[in-house]
Amino acid sequence: MQASFSIEQIRKDFPILTRTVRDNKSLVYLDNASTTQKPNQVIDTITDYYKNHNANIHRAVYALAEEATEAYESTRDKIAKFLNIKNREEIIFVRGTTEAINLVAYAWGRSNIKEGDIIVTTEYEHHSNIVPWQLLTQEKNAKLEYVGVDDNGELILDHLDKYLSTGKVKLVTFSLMSNVLGTITDAKTMIAKCRKAGVPILIDGAQAVPHMKVDIQSLDCDFFAFSAHKMLGPTGIGVLWVRKSILETMNPFHGGGDMIREVHKHETTWNDLPYKFEAGTPNIADVVGFGAAIDYLEKIGMQTIREHEIELTKYALDKMSKVRGITIYGTKDISKRGGVISFNFHDLHPHDVAHIIDREGVAIRSGHHCAQVLMEKMNVAATNRASFYIYNTKEEVDLLVKSLEKVAELFKL
Amino acid sequence: MSDPLYTEIIIDEARHPQNHGKLEHPDIAQHDANPMCGDSITLQMNVKDNSISDIKWDGKGCTICTACTSVLTQLVKGKDIDFAKNLKKETILSELGLEHLIQQSPIRIKCALLSLKVLKLGLYSYLANKLENKGFDNLKEEAASLY
Repeated sequence: MQASFSIEQIRKDFPILTRTVRDNKSLVYLDNASTTQKPNQVIDTITDYYKNHNANIHRAVYALAEEATEAYESTRDKIAKFLNIKNREEIIFVRGTTEAINLVAYAWGRSNIKEGDIIVTTEYEHHSNIVPWQLLTQEKNAKLEYVGVDDNGELILDHLDKYLSTGKVKLVTFSLMSNVLGTITDAKTMIAKCRKAGVPILIDGAQAVPHMKVDIQSLDCDFFAFSAHKMLGPTGIGVLWVRKSILETMNPFHGGGDMIREVHKHETTWNDLPYKFEAGTPNIADVVGFGAAIDYLEKIGMQTIREHEIELTKYALDKMSKVRGITIYGTKDISKRGGVISFNFHDLHPHDVAHIIDREGVAIRSGHHCAQVLMEKMNVAATNRASFYIYNTKEEVDLLVKSLEKVAELFKL
Repeated sequence: MSDPLYTEIIIDEARHPQNHGKLEHPDIAQHDANPMCGDSITLQMNVKDNSISDIKWDGKGCTICTACTSVLTQLVKGKDIDFAKNLKKETILSELGLEHLIQQSPIRIKCALLSLKVLKLGLYSYLANKLENKGFDNLKEEAASLY
């Protein structure tokens, strides 16, 4: 780990981490796979934007409009550098990963998926990478197939071979990291198989991008989606990256202002990329705030973040597995998982566990995590999920474990 | 340790729920789920002489949901359909000392009332079939406004 990495210093940047909840308990925030907290650097950037630079972008010629446009577009450049993206015009701002995937299903899928075609997704996808494809395949009379998950929480790659061998697969889509099991997908192997079969690939990077170094050029996929709010940025902003050669063939998603070149009564020509896909006044302030989040992450370094989370996850898996009555899901191989730990406690419903430990100030998620297909596969209604980020500490893991003891006490387990 | 929500009576009820299981030939079978948490409850009932002669429940739910479902089935078993149809959420909640949920926990009250919703949906569908849809909209509206 870098010598400059100080968790105490980092925690000072997050004002919310100093507050108390319930009966004056310190907040232990362990729901980072859902959304992350925001550092002062991001909050202040957004405030500064509204206080000093607010104007609409890409239109007016006055000073404020120039500043706003510059601030908005500079985030696009930061993203290109952050993910090693070759062309900045391949980066489209959207509301989040969900909208990004829906954009692909609509603007690419509707003209490329035909009756009898197959789209392949996986059993550990978030609903956002299942439902858009259900809608599309139902509309087109195409089929949606699933790469299965084994008992270790890893994808069964033979399933992919089986579907690819039909010659009917027109898109393969998968999450780079499971939001329930934390499994890091073997993207390299999957992409190699798809490339060999000439099938385009969409990657849901919502869980991976905040926690590890991602290099779009070396990944060699075709579509890539992620969200700002899971990586210290504001809610309501996400990114869709599309390989330029594909993006150039795609129809618009939304029609309206900013996405046009010329509009006449019965015909319209489109603006250049990426503006063709950014209709209407975008969420300017939050794009600017997202830029500050990327600066913050780059300053710490993605490798440092990954190392911190490996250490914390290792510690947590070790401590939690010693708790009597706990069931932890997913692989034990730390090199294959991110800082996400799903578990059940005795036969208690996760809602009960989460409710009781909330009274100790510990915030974890309970429920199906928008992954009901996986819940069905695991044969559970729901799980508890603790998920870590750069500001979490071993002391917080200890508090989680201690709070579970209180649950056992209350239920006389 | 004690907790204002997880009282002994609730934990006991949930650990030893009544009327759990399935009926062989139910006259009414109704299922619903809470989209937020994935809790799901199926209620099955037999009707004899306009009363609920037997009732069983099956499904997955948290402690609050399970305790309330158990109490609900005990309350309506052997009672007239009209009694069950007019059962108020306050009645269920007060059986377990959960009235405070109405004010204090908009999230957990849905756990508490899922089975009541299923009961009413089931009864209303049953009645609507018998009534040949006369008054069905009123029944649906009443069921939907439970929360």
